[in-house]
Amino acid sequence: MFRKILIANRGEIALRILRACRVLGIEAVVAYSEADRDSLAVQLADEAICIGPADAKRSYLSAPAVISAAMITGCDAIHPGYGFLSEDDGFAEVVAAHGLTFIGPPAGVLERFASKAGTRELFAGHGLPTIPGSEGMLRDEMHALGEAERIGYPVLIKPSAGGGGKGMRMVRTPRELEGVLRVCRSEAKAAFGDDSLYLEKWLDENRHVEIQVVVDKYGHGVHLGERDCSVQRRHQKIIEEAPTPALPPSSRTELAERAIKAAVAAGYENLGTLEFLVDASGAFYFIEINCRIQVEHPVTEMLTGIDMVATQIRIAAGEPLGFSQPDVTFTGHAIEFRINAEDPTNDFRPGAGVVERYHAPGGPGVRMDSHLYSGYDVPPFYDSLLGKLVVWGPDRTTAIARSRVALDELVVDGLATNIAIHQAMLLNETFLGGRMTTNLLDRVGSAAFLAAAART
Amino acid sequence: MVERDRDRDTAATERTAAERAADHAALARSMDQLVPTLIEKLGTTGLAELEVREDSLRIRLRRPAGAPIAHDPRAADRATDRAHRTERSRGALGGSPSPHQPGMTPVGPGPGPGREPRESREVRTSDIGHGAIATSPAVGIYHPGPAARAGTRVRAGDRLGTVDMLGVPQEVVAPTDGVVGASLAEGGDAVEYGQELVVIEFVTAVPASATTSPAATTAPAATPPPASTEP
Repeated sequence: MFRKILIANRGEIALRILRACRVLGIEAVVAYSEADRDSLAVQLADEAICIGPADAKRSYLSAPAVISAAMITGCDAIHPGYGFLSEDDGFAEVVAAHGLTFIGPPAGVLERFASKAGTRELFAGHGLPTIPGSEGMLRDEMHALGEAERIGYPVLIKPSAGGGGKGMRMVRTPRELEGVLRVCRSEAKAAFGDDSLYLEKWLDENRHVEIQVVVDKYGHGVHLGERDCSVQRRHQKIIEEAPTPALPPSSRTELAERAIKAAVAAGYENLGTLEFLVDASGAFYFIEINCRIQVEHPVTEMLTGIDMVATQIRIAAGEPLGFSQPDVTFTGHAIEFRINAEDPTNDFRPGAGVVERYHAPGGPGVRMDSHLYSGYDVPPFYDSLLGKLVVWGPDRTTAIARSRVALDELVVDGLATNIAIHQAMLLNETFLGGRMTTNLLDRVGSAAFLAAAART
Repeated sequence: MVERDRDRDTAATERTAAERAADHAALARSMDQLVPTLIEKLGTTGLAELEVREDSLRIRLRRPAGAPIAHDPRAADRATDRAHRTERSRGALGGSPSPHQPGMTPVGPGPGPGREPRESREVRTSDIGHGAIATSPAVGIYHPGPAARAGTRVRAGDRLGTVDMLGVPQEVVAPTDGVVGASLAEGGDAVEYGQELVVIEFVTAVPASATTSPAATTAPAATPPPASTEP
């Protein structure tokens, strides 16, 4: 097991990793940028080390700065969290070359799954239905138009690197495709430093269901069930829950079993998430794999009781998983609400500033993972996630009732947040009926959605 | 940092050598006694700037532009905590047998004899006139160069040494023209981004003479009397 881990991330996930280290009896060093000097993770860490200025390219995204910080503080492993360097196979390789362990899939595994088109092919070869998409990356406009014609409109333009909805656009006509291709390229370039794009068939009224897998170094893997991430705003997840209301239990089990079988067969290692689109008929299509701990992992933790970050650290250290599929049980229902510093009344413009007052809700089944504290100055340089409210209940109805109470109790004063959109969602008949699709918010527009909720 | 200036020195030419000597002595005492007290005051209040006037002597302390400005006492406490943690990091490093740290032994010439203990904040700041501090451009191992030796005259932008970030040297440069003063880190130290490394003192001629009253040196720092020479 590791003696000391460098946490190369910030915000709530830095805190989450720090907690896992404490539980495992591992010392933790938090690497931070100048903008995060006053962050909670820095204050609670065993040690903290400033690795660069606010600009992430020179701090959280700088492989030399992160590795140098790990070396001089005597760490033997680096946890990259999510985003930043978490799925960068080049980074993982350099970490290993310096005699340190990258907590995530080894570089070779990351490389194998780096190309989204390649990964689709690989999994198709292992029996997973995949969403129709372009052959490789889009070379130019002519190629894009040709591929879109072949796949059939509507299509989704997606960047090869990264996630989080950046550089993604759904288009219904060749004219729309021509219009946004350049925008997508520049967005992808700015966000991920890579402007490769590809196309995917877009399914109207689709649900987003993902399967959590965990595979140790010895090829022993289990699935930890699914999460439904259908509530999105412009391709960004805002609410995640499990079990998915989209599929009956038998279909859920079938999907999860096929996913873990394919992941093990394809040589996947460590924690990972296979994302699927589920259409109105219940048919599912593999879209991509996320080779990292995900924002929404607490949903699975609430159902299974498994500490996923601790498990991830253990298997990165070479420990066997220590449990098998029959040991994994799923109890009750959990829902996660992403609390973002975004103003729903102003086109979700991200905000920053001082949190004048913060109060986290409590009660049975309520968990708040957040790096906020009263007086904390949210820096404007990074993503807008302020925390995650995760609510568990023995069933979906109870979980929703508890969520309403918890959202009402949550206080984040001083900044605009998206709490109102969650409260509106808990009044929406489509959501309450478990029939939400990924276009639920975007179809009506968030403003209209909020207005409708206000009338009820 | 300490900044001294004279409000008026128009009478300088009429003053005797003895008076000038008395002024210098008063200034020296002020630097020894008053300034350290003021610095301590500045540290505990968290103010960015503090000014005391006594007769024609005006003493203004200002935190260096490059240093973290503590806007409140809590921030000052946290800064101290971090410094402690960095010390611990060094401890861990010292005990680490890792072969990936070839820079662990100092390569540059050792800091000059004038180097002050880096734990002593008072000495560090009060011993210099007004100046600026060269900070680390990266997280890594610090290697002072020949120019980091105390007493060396440097120009803004001169290379004082390097911080080795994973085998790639990043230059530590003088933030201002001046003379190298205290070193705040030693060769081979693990340093973080922005860490203070070398003090550069501004080169300012001590004013030839003025109307400084020796009383300035004995005035209680915390309660400056009315500034009688306020323009």
